[in-house]
Amino acid sequence: MREILILLRPRMLSIMNRSVSIRGVRFLIFGLLGLLFWGGIFFIFYRVLTYFQSIEGFGDILAFKLLSMTLITFFSLLIFSAILTCLAKLYLAKDLPLVHAMPVSGKKLFLARWLEATFDSSWMVLIYSLPVFLSYAIVYQAGGFYYVVVVLNLVPFCLIASSLSAIAVMVAAILLPAGRIRTVFVFLGLFLALLLVLSFRLIRPEKLVNPESFASVLIYLKNLEAPSSPLLPFTWFLDALKASLASSWEEAIFHTVLSWSGAITLIYLSTWVSGAIYFKGLSKSQTSAGKLLSLGLWSQWVEGYFSHRLTPPVRAFVEKEIKTFFRDQTQWSQIFLVLGLIVIYLFNFSVLPLERSAMKLEYLQNLLSFLNMGLAAFVLSAVSARFVFPAVSLEGKAFWIVLSSPLSIRTFLWIKFIIYFLPLLLLAELLTILTNLLLQVTPFMMVLSVLTVFFMVPGIVAMGIGLGALYPDFNSESPTQSVTSLGGLLYMTLCMGFIGAVIVIEAGPVYSIFMTGIRRGTLTGFQWAWILSSFAIVLALCIAAVLIPMRKGEERLLKREII
Amino acid sequence: MIELRNLTKKFGEVIAVNRLNLSVSQGEIFGFIGPNGAGKTTTLRMMSGILAPTEGSVRIDGINVAKEPEAAKKRMGYIPDRPFLYEKLTGMEFLKFTADLFEVGDGRFRERSESLLKQFSLYAWRDELIESYSHGMRQRLIISSALLHEPKVLVIDEPMVGLDPAGIRMIKNLFKDLSVRGTTLFMSTHTLSFAEDLCSRIGVIHKGRLIATGTIEELKQLAQVKEGDLEEVFLILTEGEAVP
Repeated sequence: MREILILLRPRMLSIMNRSVSIRGVRFLIFGLLGLLFWGGIFFIFYRVLTYFQSIEGFGDILAFKLLSMTLITFFSLLIFSAILTCLAKLYLAKDLPLVHAMPVSGKKLFLARWLEATFDSSWMVLIYSLPVFLSYAIVYQAGGFYYVVVVLNLVPFCLIASSLSAIAVMVAAILLPAGRIRTVFVFLGLFLALLLVLSFRLIRPEKLVNPESFASVLIYLKNLEAPSSPLLPFTWFLDALKASLASSWEEAIFHTVLSWSGAITLIYLSTWVSGAIYFKGLSKSQTSAGKLLSLGLWSQWVEGYFSHRLTPPVRAFVEKEIKTFFRDQTQWSQIFLVLGLIVIYLFNFSVLPLERSAMKLEYLQNLLSFLNMGLAAFVLSAVSARFVFPAVSLEGKAFWIVLSSPLSIRTFLWIKFIIYFLPLLLLAELLTILTNLLLQVTPFMMVLSVLTVFFMVPGIVAMGIGLGALYPDFNSESPTQSVTSLGGLLYMTLCMGFIGAVIVIEAGPVYSIFMTGIRRGTLTGFQWAWILSSFAIVLALCIAAVLIPMRKGEERLLKREII
Repeated sequence: MIELRNLTKKFGEVIAVNRLNLSVSQGEIFGFIGPNGAGKTTTLRMMSGILAPTEGSVRIDGINVAKEPEAAKKRMGYIPDRPFLYEKLTGMEFLKFTADLFEVGDGRFRERSESLLKQFSLYAWRDELIESYSHGMRQRLIISSALLHEPKVLVIDEPMVGLDPAGIRMIKNLFKDLSVRGTTLFMSTHTLSFAEDLCSRIGVIHKGRLIATGTIEELKQLAQVKEGDLEEVFLILTEGEAVP
């Protein structure tokens, strides 16, 4: 135990040292946002549960179905998060050579790392699960015993998820070919994307807004059913909570003990597995870094395609960006997830029950298409926050190469811009055109949305590159997570402001054009002036969104106090 | 070939480099020595255009690095002390990347890259990802890339780091050869015997100030050392501070 505590000490000291130096504004912004989100979860659950209570006879069934689904979601999140953290802590961390050189047994090393991974992967899920349990406590007027049961079950719940993940990662490290440990990211991303699409397809949420289409209440409830095998950890948790809400002390204690026995057994099992295969897997993963696929032909194509189209310095950076992006397997999992979300996005538009609305169909289709411009741009800014914003920081400690090269910072930033602009423009236009086709909008709305998105995308990408350069982090081990930094937060806020401003400025003129078309009338001189000046303002805003952040980012990098 | 005029760098209140004045002629090998934290790396970074000076200027082949950075950098090769590279590129791809940046033509690149990779014993590893290279291999790759465009000035921060004895000897011979052919070398090092063997002149920097400059003999006179080597001179000039 002493060795495990010593191994954990650097981490604890780092946290303490960091908390001392944490900057006030950043802490305040994140604290407020976190609190807002926490309060939001509580509010939604409280309202839903209160509504369920008003449905006589079915209130409790619905409330516990909801609780069951929530626990399944939490458990999936914990598993997903713990797999990534265990992989990083057990196989990829840069201090592994140092700690493995210490005179400590492999099992103790594993336990120290696993404890860290458990904490890192669970704390956020834990914090944001609390408003859910609190809302149940208030609605069901639970006593102090309920809170004790919640705490006593949350701990083994996290330990079980983390132990299962650690075992899965250790087995994967042994099964995967040498140097391919990062492939876990790819499979995980692919698996999660498929799970997202499949679950959406199976749940068919569009059916839930239309209860009368179900033959009976029984079938309706069956559609809400979630698995509840007595062998599953979330069933133990659920049963303990249900029992404590009903003040069945003995039953609640029984299920809590079940949770703890499951957790202890799995911790023992994972420690045993670590003794058998962890070091073997670690040695295997250290041998040599392998490529996921042999990209020889792809590399040749990249080189061949750009060789005669670009000047050599620009070509050098374009080829480097494309190759490093596709060879980084951690990016692949994110691409799969984005693709999965796009499928869901488009699928939702294909099943919108527009004909059931009280509004006129043509009006509603075009209103949705107009709002969809903003939604598509928002999806794009979320994708940009993950891929474009960290683009400058991704240069990492090799940024000296850029600085010592005969390429200006301005050119460097514009190359980054172009590389991300083209695929993101394609993505945004694809989303807009496909959703418009699904909505069967008028030709005017099709042209308007395609053009608006065309002018908004450069602004969103340039803000990502510019703010990424304004707030670079060349020392981070995982710059792709920089979206959670102050700069990332500012980027998302500015993007939302920009998208909102464009939509608001265009809304009035578009409405008047659209309604004039429906009424088969003609636009007045004042309306023309209003329309033209509105579109001119939008255009000016889009140009400013490109130029200002790029210039500010360049100025920041030129100061060169950052490496 | 290299001219530093009142070169100063402040990090907040700390003056890392204080009004440095120095000239290095073509073909000279200039050694830059000093204790840890004396300002060696900061000076080299300002020279190579990685760090902007607070005051003063750097001229490479008559070109002001701050005013015409691209033109100045084209004449320079920089070798940092820590070999951070693009991990997901192969060795050959990294050299091609450098060649394109410095606008080395395809024909010349093929010839130069092959000869440099062979010279630095990296030819067999040319198609492997850099992330699988050892520290020494990365250092050799960086040196190869800095030499690819045949720079007029080579700025080197700790050339010995990570190199094996054979590599060190090869580098020594290479630097002498480059100097004979007219390349100017400016290098910081802690390996005093290396500086003694190779450098025509040596500058000693201490607490951001250039406290002495000259040939080994001139430095010995300055430190009033009749017998003894550069280490002795260094210790006296830097007021007995331990050599790291």
